[in-house]
Amino acid sequence: MNRSLVILLGALALGAGIFAGSYFTAQRATVMCCAKPADDLGWLQMEFHLGDAEMARIRELHDGYLPKCAEMCAKIAAKKDELAAVLGTSTNLTAEAQTKLNEIAALQAQCQAQMLEHFAAVSQAMPPEQGQRYLAEMKRLTLGTNELMEQSMSDHAGHEHGTN
Amino acid sequence: MNTEDIPLQTLLRQTRPAPALPPRFQQNVWRRIEDAEAPAQPASWLDALANLILRPRFALAAAAVLLLMGVFAGTLEGRQMVRHDAQMNYLASVAPHVLR
Repeated sequence: MNRSLVILLGALALGAGIFAGSYFTAQRATVMCCAKPADDLGWLQMEFHLGDAEMARIRELHDGYLPKCAEMCAKIAAKKDELAAVLGTSTNLTAEAQTKLNEIAALQAQCQAQMLEHFAAVSQAMPPEQGQRYLAEMKRLTLGTNELMEQSMSDHAGHEHGTN
Repeated sequence: MNTEDIPLQTLLRQTRPAPALPPRFQQNVWRRIEDAEAPAQPASWLDALANLILRPRFALAAAAVLLLMGVFAGTLEGRQMVRHDAQMNYLASVAPHVLR
């Protein structure tokens, strides 16, 4: 093989090795040094540049909200178990199953409302600009997921209707 | 050198015939030296590139640039990963149903 080509390929391989090595080392070092997996609220402090006083207030709100959230989750899980029992092996949707579905939807709506109230309270504990950004981000993350799912389902349904 | 040998050396030099130098002798000598020192012209762009890569200064500079670029990009990516993980931790604690 041509000597110059060998030199060029060798240099490219060496360059790629240097870049990849430094990239992965730096990435791992950053993850190891900056990650705080034990603290749920680490992201808030990092993202919204909050001071100790603001963090203390938010931690208080967070600790107050968690038991309520857990209670709602337990209620929803129990109601889902009831629905599964009612559905059993039946192939038809009975009136009782419909009632359970409505109850689950009501509980989920209640849970969501409670969550949004918590987000609003947390946003008020932040400086106004950061609070607005937090609220928008949390709405996008929590409500946006459902909207995306509904959107994709409606697109899928529309596509199927179109082919019929 | 022994100073007593100087008259002897002068005498020896006088006895040896000194041939006349060819015309433009000095110019020709310098031209040959310059030709010998001038780098050979590369045959193709590949050879030119290989020659460039083999220059220590260029190789060192390129390695340093690649290293810095790697560290910069890796740090940015690491920060994004940390941010995303922290965000997911928070989200899992306040809105567990979203992640199900």
